[in-house]
Amino acid sequence: MGSDFNIATQLIDKTLVIKTDGYINHTGGEKIVEEFSKHITVNRLILNLENSKVVNSIGISHLIEIIEKLNQVNGKLIFTNLDPAIEKTFSIMGLFQFAAKADSIEAAMEV
Amino acid sequence: MENNNLVERLSLQSESFQEGFETLSSARSFEEMVKNFLHLIRGNFLVSEICAFGKKHSEADWKPISSDKIISREYLSSINATQQLIISYPDNAEHTVCIVLPLCDRSLLAVLIGHKMDQSRFTEFDKITLQVLIQVFDSAHRAFINQKKEKALIFDLNEKIAQMSNLIDTIIDISRFDKREILFESSLERITSLTCASAALVQITANGNLVKQFTFPVNISPDEILNASYKIESEFSFNDFNYKFILAEKESRTGTGNFNELDQLLLNAVTKQIRTAIESEYLSNQAVEKEKLEQELLVAATIQQRILPARLPQIKGYEIAGINIPSKEVGGDYFNCIELSSNKYAIIIADVAGKGISAALLVNTLDAALYSYLQFDIPLNEMAERLNKLIYKSSPSDKYITFFIAILDSATGVLDILNAGHNPIYLLRADGTMEKFDAGGVGLGMFDFGIPFAGQTSSIHRGDSLFFYTDGIPEAMNKSEEEYSEERMINFFQNNYQLQSETFINELVGDVKSHTDNHPQSDDITVMILKKL
Repeated sequence: MGSDFNIATQLIDKTLVIKTDGYINHTGGEKIVEEFSKHITVNRLILNLENSKVVNSIGISHLIEIIEKLNQVNGKLIFTNLDPAIEKTFSIMGLFQFAAKADSIEAAMEV
Repeated sequence: MENNNLVERLSLQSESFQEGFETLSSARSFEEMVKNFLHLIRGNFLVSEICAFGKKHSEADWKPISSDKIISREYLSSINATQQLIISYPDNAEHTVCIVLPLCDRSLLAVLIGHKMDQSRFTEFDKITLQVLIQVFDSAHRAFINQKKEKALIFDLNEKIAQMSNLIDTIIDISRFDKREILFESSLERITSLTCASAALVQITANGNLVKQFTFPVNISPDEILNASYKIESEFSFNDFNYKFILAEKESRTGTGNFNELDQLLLNAVTKQIRTAIESEYLSNQAVEKEKLEQELLVAATIQQRILPARLPQIKGYEIAGINIPSKEVGGDYFNCIELSSNKYAIIIADVAGKGISAALLVNTLDAALYSYLQFDIPLNEMAERLNKLIYKSSPSDKYITFFIAILDSATGVLDILNAGHNPIYLLRADGTMEKFDAGGVGLGMFDFGIPFAGQTSSIHRGDSLFFYTDGIPEAMNKSEEEYSEERMINFFQNNYQLQSETFINELVGDVKSHTDNHPQSDDITVMILKKL
């Protein structure tokens, strides 16, 4: 099934910033993991979800995979610009036990 | 003696076995665990080469997990894969030990161990140590698998809680959306996420024709969803429209598949809530419309009350009284007494077929036209023709006016009369004889092909009473749907005509009310009496 999910990436030192656009499902999650895997030196990932208002549990499982990989290298995943509905889902799924959230990319850089 | 020595050596190693278990079970992946296992073997036996292969199940091919050397496909295929632990010591040029370990998840691990660095053979003690290490790996692997299962279980539980929470939020949100497009778009987003669907579609049809459709994601083609291999649907109809919701391709980490029972329940729940939201919006709009209409009726009623005379003029030598009781806020009855000159009066009663605003508008037209035409003192039949044309043009085909007019010369008592389709008007002479005026033409606005209106002349004398009414009096019904009747009305007129005019009117209305006994009034009631003193 076609997908209109897109990402834009920016690397600042050892911080990778990925801005997503669209439904974070299996396809979306895979694209994020794939992009993250290209940057093996990265120990901080900022995921800007400003243009992603919908996420499903398969998408979340991919994000958990990234969190686990980052934890292995004492790294951190920080979510920014979260839609309230997504924030609530992440909270219930326990993501914020191992990942952080920030209001903006600037604030995420300080975490 | 040798056995005692063996036990002693093994007990000395127990601490290192424990450490080995901790190392293996702390691995974050199966591959890491295997690598650590190879390190343990290498460290225990000081071997030069060691490699590991795995296969998902006994029928699959061996895949390298950790291998420094290229092992030939033929050699690998020669390794037996059963569901039992096999440790063999081939003692060939390449390997001294071959282990095939079936694991708890039905996968298999093969470990090929090269020669010891000192070229010595594996002793009995080494073989027992190797057995223990394999058991340690197996236990650590079971713990690893259980941990994975526990994580998956926690994920599933959290997912279910998130689903319930999202469902509740979705249901609350659906009831809040006031724009239909946002309702559908947001609902599709929510249900897609709730069920892990790849895409969703809602199609709105009327009489089988597609009116509108929405998809999520927005750019996906509806055909792609309709042609998907795995789909679930839910639909409802309301107000001639059919709303069909389709979810396509449930996602998992291994691809897409069919939806489960819970997904169908979730889709049904959301669809039901959307139906409720649409129904509520419709009922709310209806209530607003009704309120608006009631306001308009109130305004129209106020205007109509201004058209109908608050007081009839006093005519010297006569007594005149009248009343109008509309059945709804705005009625279709009309009565008036217009002073034309010092001795001339036009007494009119009329009834528009129907009630409500359209009837009130016609009454308005009639009132304005009458004031206009009566100025010119034209013959009544000519005036009736003009009124007929005007009402015909101003009204829908089912609307017309029954109309009665009498021009009274109060000095002589002469009456010029025209009855255009109205009920008979009764003149009760002082001697008790009754005359009725019922001919003259059809109702105003019924036809426009020149049916002539004919007037007539009569006169009213001292003690005579002229009685005007609309059909609301004889047709007033009680709970048993029995009419007050023309007969009872005429009897009342004959028995009570001596009463003072206003009293007569009030008593008549009272008699009608006593008949209807609080049964809702079905038609306007208008009555008027003219008595020559």
